[in-house]
Amino acid sequence: MERIILDVDSAGDDILAVLFAAANPNLKLEGVTTVTGAAGPIEQVTNVVLNTLALAGRDDIPVHAGAWRPIVGNAKADMEAPVHFEKRLVARFGDRLKKFNPPAPVPSRQATPGHAVDFIIDTVMANPGEITLVTTGPLTNAAMALLQEPRLTDVLKRLLVLGGNFQTPGNITPLSEYNIWADPEASRIVLNADVDKILVPLDICEDNRVAASMLTRDDIADMQALARDNPVFDMIADSFPIYIDIWREFFDLVGFPMDDVITVALAFDPDLAIMSEPLFVDVVLDGRIARGQTVAHRGRQLLPGGGPKTTRICTDLDGRRFLNMFKQTVARYERAA
Amino acid sequence: MTTATPILFDCDPGHDDAIALVMAHRSPAIKLLGVTTTCGNAEVEKTTTNALRILEFIGAGDVPVAQGCHRPLARPLVLGTADGPSGLEGSPYLPQATIKPVKQHAVDFLADALRASPEPILVVATGPLTNIGLLILKHRDVLPKIKELIWMGGVFYRRSEIITPTEFNAFCDPEALKIVLDSGIPILMVGLDVTMQVLIEAPQYAELATIDTPLGRLVNDWLLFYEKLHRNSMGVGGAMHDPLVLALAIDPTLVRTRPVHIGVDLSGSYAFGATVADFWGERGEKENARIAHEVDADRFFKLMFDLLRD
Repeated sequence: MERIILDVDSAGDDILAVLFAAANPNLKLEGVTTVTGAAGPIEQVTNVVLNTLALAGRDDIPVHAGAWRPIVGNAKADMEAPVHFEKRLVARFGDRLKKFNPPAPVPSRQATPGHAVDFIIDTVMANPGEITLVTTGPLTNAAMALLQEPRLTDVLKRLLVLGGNFQTPGNITPLSEYNIWADPEASRIVLNADVDKILVPLDICEDNRVAASMLTRDDIADMQALARDNPVFDMIADSFPIYIDIWREFFDLVGFPMDDVITVALAFDPDLAIMSEPLFVDVVLDGRIARGQTVAHRGRQLLPGGGPKTTRICTDLDGRRFLNMFKQTVARYERAA
Repeated sequence: MTTATPILFDCDPGHDDAIALVMAHRSPAIKLLGVTTTCGNAEVEKTTTNALRILEFIGAGDVPVAQGCHRPLARPLVLGTADGPSGLEGSPYLPQATIKPVKQHAVDFLADALRASPEPILVVATGPLTNIGLLILKHRDVLPKIKELIWMGGVFYRRSEIITPTEFNAFCDPEALKIVLDSGIPILMVGLDVTMQVLIEAPQYAELATIDTPLGRLVNDWLLFYEKLHRNSMGVGGAMHDPLVLALAIDPTLVRTRPVHIGVDLSGSYAFGATVADFWGERGEKENARIAHEVDADRFFKLMFDLLRD
C-alpha cells in the first residue's frame, strides 16, 4: 500500500487521476493539493477536486489549495492556452465543447484549511520515508515545499512527476511540455533535487506509440456493458467523449491520453513502465523558444556539469495492462445492490 | 514624537544590516514587530545567528526572529563577500546568543504578523527578496496588509564609475524581485544611486569615535572590517546601504523619489539581475515602484549617529 499525496491542476485527466487514486486498493490517498495550471485559476482547480471527491463519496480526503501563480511563468495569454485552445474547434463540435473544462459548480464542502505547501511539508516530515508525492500539474507547490523545507529531500520516499518530453514533440511549444513550461523555475528546483524521482514524459502518454493506454469510445462502450449503478462511470460516459474527440482532432492521437492516471499508477506499480537508469535532469529557463525544455544528462561530455543522478525517465509503457487497471478501478465505484 | 511606526524587518546581517537593526530597536519612531532572515551576505543559518546576537546584545532579545529561505527561488545560492565568512566578521567581543529563533518559517511568520495587524504594516527589506517573493506566492491574502515595502536594492542611473551594472540583492534573486514588482504592493526601491552616497569616511569615523560606549566601539569594529572590500575595489569607505533604508522608515524626507516602471533582467549574462527604470514610459507599462534618486547625506548621518549615541 503506497501512501501518496496527489498534486493536481484539475485538467480532464487530473479528474480521472483523483478518482483512480481515491478508489485503487493499492493506494492510500493522504490528501489532494491543488495548483494553478491547465484548468485555470486556483479556485476552479480546487472546486473541481472537491466536486470530484464528492462524486467519489470521499469527502473524508483532505483537499488543500496551493499556489495561485507560478514563480515566473510566461505571458498571460500563453498561460491560458490550455483553457481556451479548444475554441479553435468550435465549428467542428459546437455546443458539445461546453463539457470541456466547464466552470465548476459550488462544491458541497470547502477546501481544508492550511496551504497545500504546509500540508505537503507537515505530512512528509511526520512520516519519514513513507510518503510519495505525485504531481500531475505544474511544479509550483512541490518547489515551494522544497524551498521552505530543504530537509524534505531526506524524508520524501519518492516523487512522481508528470512532465517533460524527450522523443515526442512538446504539446505547448515544439520543444516543451505544458507542466514544465508553465513553471520552468519550479520544475528546475524539483528535477534538480537530490531525491528519488520517476519522470513520466509525454513520450509514454501523448504519443500514438502508446495508443493502447488511451481512452477511446470503445473503452467507454466496454465499461458501459459491465457498469451497473456506477455514478463515476456515468460521469465519465457523459463528460469524456468530447475530450476523446478534442485530442483526436487537435493532437492527432487515437484517444484521450491518460497522462495523470498513468503517473498515479506508477506510484504503486512501476513495472508498468520501462525506465532509464537514474539520471540528472535539467530544465531550460532561457526566455526564448526552448523555455521549459527538459534535458536529460546522458552519455559523457567534455564540459563539467550536471547534478544528482536521481531521476528515472519512463521510456515505454504497458498501455493495455494500464488501461485494464483503470477500468477495474472505476468499476469499484459501483453502488452495492 | 507621535506613535511609533510598526515595521517587519527582513534582512541578511551583514554589517550594514546589523547597524540598521540597532537603529530600528533604538529609534522611538519605530516599533520592531519582528525580524526575518534570508541568505545573501551569508548562509541563512549564519544571518539568523547574527540577528540573534545583535538583538540580544542591544537588549532587544524579546523581538521574535524567524529564519527564512536557505537559497534563492530559482538560482543557485550566491553569497556576498563584504561581510566575511560569518557575515559579521570583526565582532570578536559580541557574545554568542542565548535566545533562539521562533519555530515558524519567516514566510509564515510574516503572513501571520500581517494578518494579525488591523492596519497595513511597513515592511523593510535589506537583503535578496526571496522571503518576500515566497510570501507573495504562498499568502496572496496578506498583500493588502503591506503598507509599503522599502527595499535596499537595484541601481538605475549608473552615473558613477563606483556603481556596478547590477546590485547584489537584485542579482542574488532576480526572480523574487520580479514577483515583488508584479505584485502590486507599494514599493520604494533604495538603490546604489543613493546608498553609494552615504559612505563612512574620515569625518564619520571621527563622529563615531565620540560615541565611547560598547555599542559605539562594536559599530566601529564592524565598519573597519566592512569597508575593506569597498576600499580595495572602489577606493571608498563602507556604504551605509541598509541603515539608509531603515532611516527612511523613520524620516521619508531624507530622499527624493520618483514613480517609474521597473523591470528586472532574467535572461542576460552581463546584465543578469539588472534593474531597468523606464524613465520615459517607452514600454507603456504602469508605474510599479518609486525609486530614490537623491539623498540628504548630512541629515542621514545625523539621524544614524543620534541613534547610536546613548
